[in-house]
Amino acid sequence: MDTWKQFEANELTHSAAHHLLAIHEVGLQYGGWARVSDIARELQITRGSVSINLRALKKRGLVETDAHRLVKLTPEGLQAAKAVMATRAVLKTFFADVLGVPDIQADIDSCKIEHLISHATAERLALFQRFLTSDPDALQQLLARFQRFHAECPQERSCDVCKGHCPLDGLPHAI
Amino acid sequence: MGASEAELIDDLNRLMAEEAEASMRYFQMRFRLRGRGRETAEKFFAEAIKETLEHAELIAKQIHALGHVPSLQINLSVEGGPMPPEDALGEALDVEQAALEAYQEFLPRVAGHPTLEPFIRQQIAIETEHVQDLQEVLRSFGLKLVAKPVV
Repeated sequence: MDTWKQFEANELTHSAAHHLLAIHEVGLQYGGWARVSDIARELQITRGSVSINLRALKKRGLVETDAHRLVKLTPEGLQAAKAVMATRAVLKTFFADVLGVPDIQADIDSCKIEHLISHATAERLALFQRFLTSDPDALQQLLARFQRFHAECPQERSCDVCKGHCPLDGLPHAI
Repeated sequence: MGASEAELIDDLNRLMAEEAEASMRYFQMRFRLRGRGRETAEKFFAEAIKETLEHAELIAKQIHALGHVPSLQINLSVEGGPMPPEDALGEALDVEQAALEAYQEFLPRVAGHPTLEPFIRQQIAIETEHVQDLQEVLRSFGLKLVAKPVV
C-alpha cells in the first residue's frame, strides 16, 4: 500500500488550504480583498512566505491580485475554500457531537484531517450525520448508549473492530 | 507615536524574521538555479543572502539597544527541484516587495522616535533600491513586469 505517499500529493495542500481560508476570513470585511500583511498575521508567518505561497495559488487560478498587491479569491478559489470549510465542519461535528471529543481538540483534529480524506468519504460522513439527526429521540438514545458503552469498554478487551487487537491497548502509546 | 514599546518590539521581531527567513530562502534557492542567466541570478542571491542577514542583524541591534533580547520565530521548510533563474528572481522580487511593505507600514508607528524613525527610513530607502534593482534584472531577462509603484 502506497497510500501514505499520497498525503503529499493532494490537489490542495494543507498550507494552501490555510492560505485560502485566511484570505477568505480577512477579506470578509473588505469586499473579499485582503492585504498580504493581514494574511501573514492571520497565519502567523512572514509576509515573504505568504507572497511565495500566493504565487503558486495564483498560477493555479485560485487567487487574483491587483496593482496594489491586494489579494482576492477567484470563484474557483472561493469554491475550494468553501469545500475545505464544509469538510472541516462535518468532521468537527462528528468528533464533538457524536464522539464527544472536547471542542478545542475537535477543532484541531478536524483541521489536520480535513485535507487528507476524499470528498466521497466526507460526503458519506455528512450523510451519516444527517441520518443520525433525522430522528432526534433515537439519536439521544444512541449517544446515551454510546456513553455507557464507552465507560464499560475497557473491561472487555476483545471485539470485531480490530480483529483481536484492542485499539484501546495501543492508543495510549501513540506518538 | 501611538504604539507601546512592547508593540514596537513585536513589530521589530517580525521585521527581523522577514529578513532572516529571506536569507534562508535565498540560500536554498541559489542551488536550484538552472538554465540561461544562472550566473546573473547566482550573483544576485549570493549578495542577497549576505544583505538580508545583515539587515536582520541591524534590527536585532535596534531591539537590543531598546533593552530587549531579539526573539526570532521562523517556520520555514524550503525544498523543490531545479528552477529557471527568472522564476527564482520573480519569487525574490515578491519577498523583497513584502519586506519593503513591512517597513513602510511600520514607519508611522515609529514617527518621532529618535533612533527607530531614522533607521526605518534608511531601511525603506535600501529596500526600495533592492526592489528597483531586481526589477531591472528581471527586465534584462525579457520579462514584462506588472506596474507596481514603489513608494
